[in-house]
Amino acid sequence: MQKILPKKDLPKFINNLIKKYELIAPIKTIPTKFQKISNFKEIYLERITQVPAKQHFQPENETLLEFKNNKAIETTGEIKKTILFGLRKCDLNAIQILDKVMYDKQYLIKRKNTILIGLFCENPDEFCFCNSMQLENYHDLFLFPKGSNYIIDVQTSKGKALVKNLPDAKYPTKIPNPKNSKKLKNLNIEKNYKDKLWEKDADKCLSCSACTVYCPTCNCFDIKDNLNLDLKSGKRIRHQASCQLKSFSKVAGGKSYRDSRISRFKHFVYHKISYYKSQHDRPMCVGCGRCLRVCPTKIDWVKTINKLKVKK
Amino acid sequence: MTYQPKSYKIESIKNYTPDVKLFKIKSNLNPAPGTFLEVSIPGIGECPLASCSHNKNYIELLTKNAGNVTSAIFNLKKSNTIFIRGPHGHGFPVNELENKNLILIAGGTGIAPITSMINYIEQNKNNFKRIFIYFGFRNEQNILLKEKIKKWEKEFKLHIGLSSDPKNHDYEKGFINEIMEHHKPTTKNTIALLCGPEGMMNATTKELNILGIPNKNIYWSLERRMECAFGSCGRCQIQDLYVCKDGPIFRYDKIKLRLDNENSNQLKK
Repeated sequence: MQKILPKKDLPKFINNLIKKYELIAPIKTIPTKFQKISNFKEIYLERITQVPAKQHFQPENETLLEFKNNKAIETTGEIKKTILFGLRKCDLNAIQILDKVMYDKQYLIKRKNTILIGLFCENPDEFCFCNSMQLENYHDLFLFPKGSNYIIDVQTSKGKALVKNLPDAKYPTKIPNPKNSKKLKNLNIEKNYKDKLWEKDADKCLSCSACTVYCPTCNCFDIKDNLNLDLKSGKRIRHQASCQLKSFSKVAGGKSYRDSRISRFKHFVYHKISYYKSQHDRPMCVGCGRCLRVCPTKIDWVKTINKLKVKK
Repeated sequence: MTYQPKSYKIESIKNYTPDVKLFKIKSNLNPAPGTFLEVSIPGIGECPLASCSHNKNYIELLTKNAGNVTSAIFNLKKSNTIFIRGPHGHGFPVNELENKNLILIAGGTGIAPITSMINYIEQNKNNFKRIFIYFGFRNEQNILLKEKIKKWEKEFKLHIGLSSDPKNHDYEKGFINEIMEHHKPTTKNTIALLCGPEGMMNATTKELNILGIPNKNIYWSLERRMECAFGSCGRCQIQDLYVCKDGPIFRYDKIKLRLDNENSNQLKK
């Protein structure tokens, strides 16, 4: 089902939604990110956000349990009806990927109470390679600009309820993929694990973990307990963790299972391209290019994969 | 999936070495052999521990004072409260082990999951053929679960090797693979279950291969860092497999290539 919204009516449409929902959209902070807005004017849609939308579903320092009087009670925090607006196809697919690896109450309740409104990406940059990553449609509503209108693609009943007053499109519009100049040519890299080419990238890697912080599908976390000053009550809290840090795989007694930098670097790339695929039939990478944009030593692992010998 | 733990009372504590204790906890969780529990103390944190028994009325946790949480567990006293979530993971494939000869091998605190399997064997004796048990410890002071071992010695073929106790004459000297060379187990229709440091499991697996047991008949119990215990947090990944939900018990031929790949990076920094 597709609906039509004149471009000039988008601010009114969004401001109406703000009255009923908490609306989260890209804003022009440094770095650009998804944040709660109170007026359409705050929205910044010109470029892909630097920080992905994952923080909305898995916020830093999220409380999982509260302790009091020798009892532990699971909490999910305050839940508000939320709309995430301005998600590009890569952002939407990243949420689809998270949906398959996050099973806890805290995530699921936030996910259930969120409506996803996507927006066609008109301005991919030199780092974008989303067309290589088998992206699918995964949205409640998706806006595609056509002439002076937006064609709104409706996928779910949650989305349908928001556009019930808009006119139906007379004939269906096929929504194209964004234009990419970059390509990832090979997704079958299982047999290239020991290739020497990886060493060049790993030598440049600083293990700074920026790629994992900015990656929209990096969900790995740490669980820690915080005790209040009374030394009796407190919280069990979830933090973002990164496989690029040595402590990530450290067990009691001090052994770290990915001790060398190259093992951690390859773990990131292989998890994105190969490991997730072996369990879920699609790569975990969505081709948004955020890891490439943010890397302080400009490691381009996409280029490296393109240079690997294709082994099937 | 939930992070909600339940509270339990510690029924008794037994000291084995200065840094290993056995906590007996009243509970009807009855974890399947080889599975693990997320054990926690509010305010300190949570840690995964293998269940060291298979019993309807209690859980036993063999705890080594090695990390943040275990050192706090170590300070608990009788009738203190402890929080537990689980059991989690895939244990030993008990149905596939039926009508087989079994070799159970453990090094150090790796004896915990093997003990839960021995409990299961004791309760279902007719399901299994001959049982061979090999335990390895550093020296006589480090031998764990002595009173249980005494009982098992009467029921099963059991050998203990001490790796660095030159003067002791009551026990044999050597690593498990060396002990096994002298006291060979049956190898036909046989499955081996291993738990211990990976170096020890490697050496023992090589010896088992020499004796004629293929990798598909060998199971490893693996240790990795775990936070969530259900495949979300990514901490326990060995390439594409999660130790928490795909393991902690793995058929060795299915995990070997992945371990080899990860270990191939070890020499580089």
